[in-house]
Amino acid sequence: MDLSYSEEQNLLRDSVAKYIENNYDISERNKLTASDEGFSRENWKQFAELGWLAMPFAEEDGGIGGTPVDTMIMMEEFGKGLVVEPFLATVVMAGTAISEFGSTAQREELLAGIIDGSLLATFAYAEEQAHHDLSNVTTSAVKDGDFYTLNGTKSVVLNAQTADKILVVARTSGDQVSDHGLTVFIVDKGADGLKLDSYPTLDGLRASEVTLKDVKVQGDCVIGKVDEGMAVVSKVANRAILALAAEAVGAMEMLYKDTIAYTKQRQQFDHPLSDFQVLKHRMTEMFMEHALATSLTMKATMLETQGSADTQRTIHALKYLIGKSTRFVGQNAVQLHGGMGMTEELRVAHYFKRLTVIDSQFGNTDHHLTRFVA
Amino acid sequence: MDIEFSKEDLEFQQEVQEFIKENLPRGAELWTKRGEWFEALRNKGGWDVSRWPVEFGGPGFTPTQRYIFDLEMAKNSTPPQMPFGVTMLAPILMGYGTKEQQDRFLPGIRDGSVNWCQGYSEPGAGSDLANLKTKAELTEDGQHYVVNGQKIWTTLAHIANWMFCLTRTSSDGPKQEGITFLLIPMDDPGIEVRPIITLGGSHTVNEVYLTDVKVPVENRIGEEGKGWTYAKGLLAHERTGLAGIQNSVLALEKAKENAASIKVGDGTLMDVPAFRNKVGALEAELLALEFTELRTLASVAAGGSPGPESSILKLKGTEIQQRLQELNIEAAGIFGAVWGNGTAGPKFARGATGAYLGGRATTIYGGASEVQKDVISKNVLGLGS
Repeated sequence: MDLSYSEEQNLLRDSVAKYIENNYDISERNKLTASDEGFSRENWKQFAELGWLAMPFAEEDGGIGGTPVDTMIMMEEFGKGLVVEPFLATVVMAGTAISEFGSTAQREELLAGIIDGSLLATFAYAEEQAHHDLSNVTTSAVKDGDFYTLNGTKSVVLNAQTADKILVVARTSGDQVSDHGLTVFIVDKGADGLKLDSYPTLDGLRASEVTLKDVKVQGDCVIGKVDEGMAVVSKVANRAILALAAEAVGAMEMLYKDTIAYTKQRQQFDHPLSDFQVLKHRMTEMFMEHALATSLTMKATMLETQGSADTQRTIHALKYLIGKSTRFVGQNAVQLHGGMGMTEELRVAHYFKRLTVIDSQFGNTDHHLTRFVA
Repeated sequence: MDIEFSKEDLEFQQEVQEFIKENLPRGAELWTKRGEWFEALRNKGGWDVSRWPVEFGGPGFTPTQRYIFDLEMAKNSTPPQMPFGVTMLAPILMGYGTKEQQDRFLPGIRDGSVNWCQGYSEPGAGSDLANLKTKAELTEDGQHYVVNGQKIWTTLAHIANWMFCLTRTSSDGPKQEGITFLLIPMDDPGIEVRPIITLGGSHTVNEVYLTDVKVPVENRIGEEGKGWTYAKGLLAHERTGLAGIQNSVLALEKAKENAASIKVGDGTLMDVPAFRNKVGALEAELLALEFTELRTLASVAAGGSPGPESSILKLKGTEIQQRLQELNIEAAGIFGAVWGNGTAGPKFARGATGAYLGGRATTIYGGASEVQKDVISKNVLGLGS
């Protein structure tokens, strides 16, 4: 067994860490989240030049041939920097669907654009009535000659506002909650009948309600097999959960370290707060939550990389644990910062908000714990 | 032991219920006609200032009547009053102010024409409030104090006409001594209010900078150096009021409704065991906390002190509020992430997210939970200093 990073992986981590240190402080981030698109195209270009957008894709597709471990390394650093660029939506979510299930033509057409930074994409899986259930889909796709006609609404679609392509999960057969009968379509953002209602999310990122009214897509826009889209959805969800977990681990590290630093300098009752045992123990617990979350994120990521049969169950355990630990670490970081923790001025508040959003994405603690014990 | 209220108290409860039924504006009028509501309360015999004694125009409720009154008002979500004047400053004016001060300030507090804010916390004085440093120096002629310093977390300072303020007039001896209670007009040119934007982007708290603010000595409450004693009684009171138990009872019912509106499988979120058990646990704890409040009341009604149970009301009360807020964002599912003017998802989701973020403050202000536990372990359990 060897749990250390390779030399390339250490370089990757250092390169992301350095970029964030030099380009990404909280006031810079606040400017980006207040801008129209919610992130910086300039940063995205840099991500492409640094090769980060190519990392998970196969060399034959023009990528670097990295594994989920490399994505974990990047996401952990993104989590520390509270990065707002649409890496999760474009590279992890849409990128996974296209690279793992796309035809040669689709991979050629789309991955090159993702890798060079010219194409943004997202994956529209959720619907209002589904409440975390991935197979609960009512958006319909009806075949009509060479075309499919799509109708329905997809909810909280990350970065849809800036995406050039939206990958839409629709029902081609089966009842509303059936695993069988889902199909994934590549829909052009400019397609007739596609309408967006966009809004910020509480972490400053962007999402949209995507309404499809008689949107026509060609038959060759199907990713993977017709009616077997659940395989795509599961794969995308698992990769996204691994990425979010790594991001959360990075954010939690900053939170417990910021809290230690703050309580060391904050004086009350003629002592630094860090002298009080109850606070020492609380910070010790925050540290332990972070350590356990790190462990399970690593384990699940390595199982996914190997294609182990235990992967799915471990990912359920992971998303449960991440939800529990981020809530504890986030809430206590705010609590131990006192009134300062409630201000938008300190980054603590921004980590807390980001972690709150992460619990709501791809199934919360209850959802995954229920499936873990099933 | 008797778990029922007395016949007289039950009659009083009915009277309050009938009053609310007849006078409380409904729907949108709750806001537009709130002036008439307060007028009706006032005409009812000083019910607008339910905590005030008869000699100051209040109803002079017994402890049990006061409990019943608060309970019925909370159950019906009646319009709240700004607490700083009516509930927080008025008792201090009544207890320690001169007749002139009472005549000057109580009418404006009562009719809401004068807004007050509380100048207690400072950058170096949060949990350790007695550590405050804002300095008040008497001028040579003995007619004024000159105040210099900074207050922080000052709620609604930006709309306040006056601030009641703890200042330091002496640094000799223990820090609880040498604190003086002053009333300061906010339109003084030496006062600068700067907003603090809190989690979720709202502006309710501020920093207040005081530079050479001249305060006439007649604006001092009680004796110089005794301000801590006056303020301390009030803090204990503030803490019990923050438990918000009846609000939580209402919030629990609302959380159940919210969850029941979310479809999961063939049923709703309320049918999901993991979620339902959390609701049930909260309901059981709320039952216990409600009765703990009643035990405190019974002790006071019998002429005793509030008793050690009262210390846990704020601690457990705020913890329960926060857990209820968590239930709502969980029920909102993916829409718990939506912010701003988004209309996506169930209606309750918008308010739920803001309430969850803002609610984190309740275990910090009015004495952080960690400090409350210190108070209980020291004063109730006798566990050292």
